[in-house]
Amino acid sequence: MLPTVTVDDQKCADPLSCRKCLLICPTHVLGLGTDVPIKKFRETDPEHFIVRGVRVDKCTGCLDCVEVCPQNAIQVSFSGGGAR
Amino acid sequence: MCEWCEKYGDGYERWYFNPGNYARRLYKIRKEEAEALGAEADPQAAGGMAFVGQDFLEARERGDVATVEQIKQQVEGISWITHFGQVLTLEEALKIVDIMYPIGLMTCACRRSMQGLPDEENFTCMGVGTGMYKWERWPDTYRGGVHFLTPDEAKEVLAKLNKRGLVHTVFTFGTPYLAGLCNCDYPDCAAIRTVVDLGIRVLWKGHYVARIDPELCNGCASCVHRCQFRALSFSPSKNKAIIDQFQCFGCGLCATECDQDAITLVERANLPALANVW
Repeated sequence: MLPTVTVDDQKCADPLSCRKCLLICPTHVLGLGTDVPIKKFRETDPEHFIVRGVRVDKCTGCLDCVEVCPQNAIQVSFSGGGAR
Repeated sequence: MCEWCEKYGDGYERWYFNPGNYARRLYKIRKEEAEALGAEADPQAAGGMAFVGQDFLEARERGDVATVEQIKQQVEGISWITHFGQVLTLEEALKIVDIMYPIGLMTCACRRSMQGLPDEENFTCMGVGTGMYKWERWPDTYRGGVHFLTPDEAKEVLAKLNKRGLVHTVFTFGTPYLAGLCNCDYPDCAAIRTVVDLGIRVLWKGHYVARIDPELCNGCASCVHRCQFRALSFSPSKNKAIIDQFQCFGCGLCATECDQDAITLVERANLPALANVW
């Protein structure tokens, strides 16, 4: 069953330096992307990095990421229930 | 035969030994092709370096074979024109740093994406060829900067990364322009996880297949953790390592670890059932 992994980008301000969720996930489900395209002569600012469920097919629903997030920014739900 | 060698080998033993495939004129072509394909062709599009999106995973989940196959072919088609890789042995990687220049040690975009790895711990990727001279134009792609290496320094780095357990791969940026000599592992490498988990061939198997000499294997199992492709396991009843040669990508990491020399690499082309398994 595929979960829906939702990240509140407003709460998750600097995932590149926090990265707690990326490191705790036992199956490496989460990854970083950016919400802006890459620009010439400019490094992407930290606030444009976003966390997304990249390998959601590997999510077991353990919710370690939800618990580790200092900003309470992550939600994981399985439509079949048993989630929060 | 490897279709890339057939198309782009130009008389060389492998297409990635053909210096023409690192040449500057191809760097131009890549831009035009990428632009023609549009933004979707950008392998670094938002979403953690993913080659496929939620639509693929959902189709797979509901057992929609036709849609899975359709997306797979679409992704492979774009990847093979714009950006895909092939597995190399250490010896092959060492040979490549002798034929192309410059060689820039840079940070790995995949591990930045999947681990948020700080730049100073992340110098495992090599950018090669003319494009590297333009690195300062793209500070985001080259976060952490670039260390230009001599061929000898590059060989030292490759040997060290091999020891660490990373798979050497060569990547196109507008096929057949080769510009990336990457050092990869599962599951953070976008290419390895995409081919291993999803069966989408954005990374091709190499020209070799590993085999174990059961007489020489002493059952120490020190090779088993080296396989990034789920091809190597251990048989407790035989007390030997076992290689699934259909799943083997021919990187040779198991062989370089074996101190009994029990693992050798054989030519894929010489095994009729594997000659076309890429």
